[in-house]
This record gives sequence, C-alpha cells and structure tokens, in this order.
Amino acid sequence: MNAPTIALVQSLVVAAWLAVPPQAQDDEALKKDLTAVIALHGMPCGQVVDVKVLAESDFAATCKDGNRYRVYLNAAGRVVVEPQK
Amino acid sequence: MRLTHAALLLLLAASCARSKPETTVPQPEAAAPEPRTPQSAPTPAEPAAPRPAPVRAPAPAARAGTPAQPAAAKVSPPVAEAPAPASSLDLNALMDRLKATKAIGFFTKITLKNQVDDLLDQFRAYHQGKAKVTMTELRRSYELMMMKVLSLLQDKDQALASAIVSSREVIWGVLADPKKFMTLQG
Repeated sequence: MNAPTIALVQSLVVAAWLAVPPQAQDDEALKKDLTAVIALHGMPCGQVVDVKVLAESDFAATCKDGNRYRVYLNAAGRVVVEPQK
Repeated sequence: MRLTHAALLLLLAASCARSKPETTVPQPEAAAPEPRTPQSAPTPAEPAAPRPAPVRAPAPAARAGTPAQPAAAKVSPPVAEAPAPASSLDLNALMDRLKATKAIGFFTKITLKNQVDDLLDQFRAYHQGKAKVTMTELRRSYELMMMKVLSLLQDKDQALASAIVSSREVIWGVLADPKKFMTLQG
C-alpha cells in the first residue's frame, strides 16, 4: 500500500470514528426525552431502552420494564402516549 | 529518489497528523454551548434578589423591562432595588428560557407546554366561574407542575431551576389574581 492510500484510509477511519458518537448521542437524548414524556403522562416505564422511528414525530418506545408505547405528536400539537400490547 | 519518496511520506504523515486536530473541530463546537454558562451566569443573581422582595404589585406593569433587571440586581442589591427583582417574574422571559434550555428534550417541552396550557385553561375557567375545581386544587396542580419542571431542570440547568423557584410565589400571585391573570392572557 502506498502512502496516499494509507493516508486516505486513516482519514476515513478517523472520519467514521468521529461520525458515530453524535448519532449515538442523539439516540440517547431521544431515549431520555421519551422517558421524560412517558413519565410526565404518568405511565410506568422506568427508562426507555429502545426507540423505533415510525414516522416524523412518531416513535415506538420500549421500556426497561417491558412496557411499550407509541409516542407521537398529533395534529393538535399535543404529545400523545399510547400503550401498546 | 528515495529521499524525495521519504520526504513525501513525511509530508503525508504530517498532513495526517494535522488532520486530527482539524477533525476535532467538533469539540470546540461542543464547547460552544459554553455560551450557555454565561446565560446561566446572570441567573444566580436572580434567586438571591427576589427573596428579600416578595413584592407582587409591580408585576404586570414591569414585565417589559425585565431583561435588564438581572444586571441591575447584580450592581445594587440595596433596598431601593428590591421591587425590581420581584417584577423579574416575567412569565414570558421564563418561558423563553424554558424553550431555549437544552436540559429538556423537544418532546418533553411540548408535553410540558400541553400541561401548562391545560392548567391555564383551568385557571381561566375558575376565574370565569365555570370551573368545578377549587383554588386549593388549582394550587395543588400548580405545585405539581412546578415539581415536574424543576425535576427536569435541576440537574442540567440549575440557574433556570433556581430562577423558577424564586419566581414560584410571584407566578402563583399572577395566576390566582383574576385581574393579573387577565393581563397575562392579554
């Protein structure tokens, strides 16, 4: 492997390394956000451990205690938390 | 030839070494939120100031001039300044700070706003004589709402949390008084 190739590979590795954390941070922030939303609605959850994006402002949240909720923003601008079975 | 090759390698290595600091540019950006600390810096002055002066009277009138007041409170804490911090209640300013804070996530903010709007609807109905709730129940709901907001803020935005705590009674004064509440709505 020649030097430019090595440099390119190194750059790509560094770029990839830098690109991942913000995504992970976003995921963590979203989980915390949804945890707070569910708690504010007085529903049991504990902590959101997994989130699936169903659509824009529409999520399926799985809680540590096994409860699952659909959390979405309705047309009236209200955040709705619906328990899922 | 080998020398030039080695020189080229050195240059590339140097460029790689440089590229790392460049890629760490996001870190200064991460430090960019630090301007938040200046934001929060003025607020510690607020909690200290309003306490000695739980004066409610000037609340509606003085709302417009609030942003300058924290500075004034810093400069001169004496008795003459006491009425000003009380008017620092400024619900709009607190709402703006709540909107801006990064301590609360987007959907949590919307949820809080929904609940605050619901509570305001209850106060409106109460003042119009249409509500079945009592003032005691409204006070309980208000306290609960405060607890929710403070729980979300206290770890990550203590300045705003303490600003809200120190405005707590003044805000209640506005909500509970029909005339002040109407000015709030207007």
